[in-house]
Amino acid sequence: MAIIRNRNGRNKRDRMGFVLYMVYILVLIVWVVVIFKLFYIQWFWSPDERIYDALTPKITKEEFVPERGDILDCEGRKLALTLPRYQLCVDCTVQKKAHRQRADSKYKKDKKAADEMFRRLENDWKKEMRETCREVSVIVTGKRSDDLYNRICAGREEGVQYIRIGKPVDRNAYNAVMNLDLLKKKGKNYTGLYFESEYTRRYPYGTLARRTIGFVRSNNIKDTKNNHIGIEGKFDYELHGKTGVGYVRKTDNGKIRDNDSIYVEAVDGNDVRLTINIDYQEIADRALREQVEGRNDIKGVTLALMEVRTGAIKAMVNLVRDPQTGVYEESQNLVVGRRNEPGSVFKTVTLMSVLSDGCIKSLDEMIPVGDGTVEGTNIKDQHIKDDYVAKGKDAISVIDGFKISSNYVFAKLAIDNYYDDPEQFLDNIRSYKLGAAFDFDLEGLAEPGLPELAKKGRHRDKMNPNDLGRLGFGYVSELTPLHVLTFYNAIANKGRMMKPYLVEAIERNGETVKKMGPSVLNSGICSKAVADTLNRALLAVTSDGTAKWSLRGCYCNVAGKTGTSFGVVPGGGYQTEDRRKYYQSTFVGYFPAEKPEYTIISTLYSELSLTDSSLQGGGIPAKAVKTTINGIFNIDPAFREVLYKAE
Amino acid sequence: MRELVERKWKLADIGRFFKNSFKAILKGQFLLRMNVGKYFVHIVFTFFLMTLVIWISLMIEGTMAKVEKNKKVIENLRIENAQKMYDAESLMRRSTVEANLGRMGSEVKEPEKRATVLK
Repeated sequence: MAIIRNRNGRNKRDRMGFVLYMVYILVLIVWVVVIFKLFYIQWFWSPDERIYDALTPKITKEEFVPERGDILDCEGRKLALTLPRYQLCVDCTVQKKAHRQRADSKYKKDKKAADEMFRRLENDWKKEMRETCREVSVIVTGKRSDDLYNRICAGREEGVQYIRIGKPVDRNAYNAVMNLDLLKKKGKNYTGLYFESEYTRRYPYGTLARRTIGFVRSNNIKDTKNNHIGIEGKFDYELHGKTGVGYVRKTDNGKIRDNDSIYVEAVDGNDVRLTINIDYQEIADRALREQVEGRNDIKGVTLALMEVRTGAIKAMVNLVRDPQTGVYEESQNLVVGRRNEPGSVFKTVTLMSVLSDGCIKSLDEMIPVGDGTVEGTNIKDQHIKDDYVAKGKDAISVIDGFKISSNYVFAKLAIDNYYDDPEQFLDNIRSYKLGAAFDFDLEGLAEPGLPELAKKGRHRDKMNPNDLGRLGFGYVSELTPLHVLTFYNAIANKGRMMKPYLVEAIERNGETVKKMGPSVLNSGICSKAVADTLNRALLAVTSDGTAKWSLRGCYCNVAGKTGTSFGVVPGGGYQTEDRRKYYQSTFVGYFPAEKPEYTIISTLYSELSLTDSSLQGGGIPAKAVKTTINGIFNIDPAFREVLYKAE
Repeated sequence: MRELVERKWKLADIGRFFKNSFKAILKGQFLLRMNVGKYFVHIVFTFFLMTLVIWISLMIEGTMAKVEKNKKVIENLRIENAQKMYDAESLMRRSTVEANLGRMGSEVKEPEKRATVLK
């Protein structure tokens, strides 16, 4: 402070100094008051609980849910993504209390006038809501009606605060409702209309490949054994991401992150890119539905398409008929989960085995037909009896036996060549990877079943000739369609057996994080010469054998094999007393036969049915395969015709 | 020895110290009496820094609140984008494309033969 001393040595404050001194004193007083107040608040003051709640910054722990990764097809199209669904809710009592208070405060002593005003306010509100409710009805339920308005009015009388309106809707409907005039201007505090949101998995391509894509169910659902289905289930660890955790503080500006506490950001899940081509999937799905829809004698039908060079699964359709509704749905994965006796498609396995072991030198080798019964067994073949024995022919070539799918020929090949050493035959089958489940991108690949050697008795360390013969033409063993497909794919690939796979890569924001790619199961299940011989045999089946008529009109040459086996009926055996059977029929092949690009399999499982040629391998399965091949042939770049300009 | 431990100040000195300090505060001469006048700028600067810290904290709080609000905006935009993606993806299904073309009177259908490439 400025101090001027006079002649007597006494202090004399100037005017400015005095003013500053007063300001100083004022600040000092304020400071002292603040300090005292601080001490008082800190040690002696106990606030009202409501004030305490309002003034104390709330720090709450929050979990940050990561965004689940998408599932993409081989071209990057989204097959499954996460989107919120919005449930429209309404608080029927909104504004009612405010109207009452407004009326009562205006006419404190005149109850009649207050009631009159309240009624008027209520009517005005209802009038405004009526039109809005009609518009909401159109958006949410698809029809213009007063139902919603009536429910709100009824709920208002009863004091209902929470009603759910219709089913959850998507973002477009949410936007449409939120953009209605009344909601936009006055909001939910006036209309009582609001949305509750929940994130759900959505599938842009509907039910296509639904079982392959799969789902993850809440672990809390009782009575379910498996909550992790398909790719969603198996790759949940990639798709799910990592949940974050943090503490947030409530401030005047809203909730903010609390920097003094732990804060872990959520890490979004990775995307999973599949080998599935959704166009091919749709073509296959349509081809199967065309064949089976409207029929009630079929339990289920499957189709799978595999790329020859890599083993990539390009389409996998599983249609299972709902017995109640008769609708075919993707509710089970039969391609990987269902094993059954493969029937005649197994004859190719027997043929590969005898060719590889040098038991026969060529397909033109002749097999004596005898009386059409395989010696030492009860295996008979009516075709041989009718077409060969009855016509005086004494032998049949292997290729003719393969073309007409003769059980006799293949039972005889198995017994003649492997009776003394059945283990050799079984070893061959195992080396074709038909004896065990391999690692696959979906859970639940069924373990194949192969017969065991007799441990005692006359056939000790051997196989009962009946069983060995039946194994030769596709009984006594059990395989999944995926195992059969993998085996035929190896023939198309000149003996190199590729492991089937569904996941191409794990991606993050469009960049590959992990490449899954093709891998080899067995680099040579047979020689190239054997594969070429089998190719010739399979071509004979489609050009002049059991699949000839079904594949007529196919845009390219297909090499393949039909197969029909019968399931065990209740009470045992393969047919009921009234001659009804469970058909399990298959067509498997590859195309174009000259330079195979894809291997394809279709399998059908029937209800108990009387003899019906459409339920056999050359029936519905082969026809579905033909339609699928034709659809793919026209759009796949590999099949484009190249014309060179003249120089 | 006794002289060494003999107390050189009285209890009344403490009272006098508080009295003098109080008087000095009232007169605005506390810092001068403490003989820290030459550090006045530093003291003022310390107070300035404290004020700055409080002010920056408030600013940060405001920015953080803005960040949270923007996160919500981004989340909304992400949902809008995902919904559009879903809608567009649904329209790309072959059967839907075919049905839409048919409805619009187009004669374009699935190819009936494979493509020919000229080289």
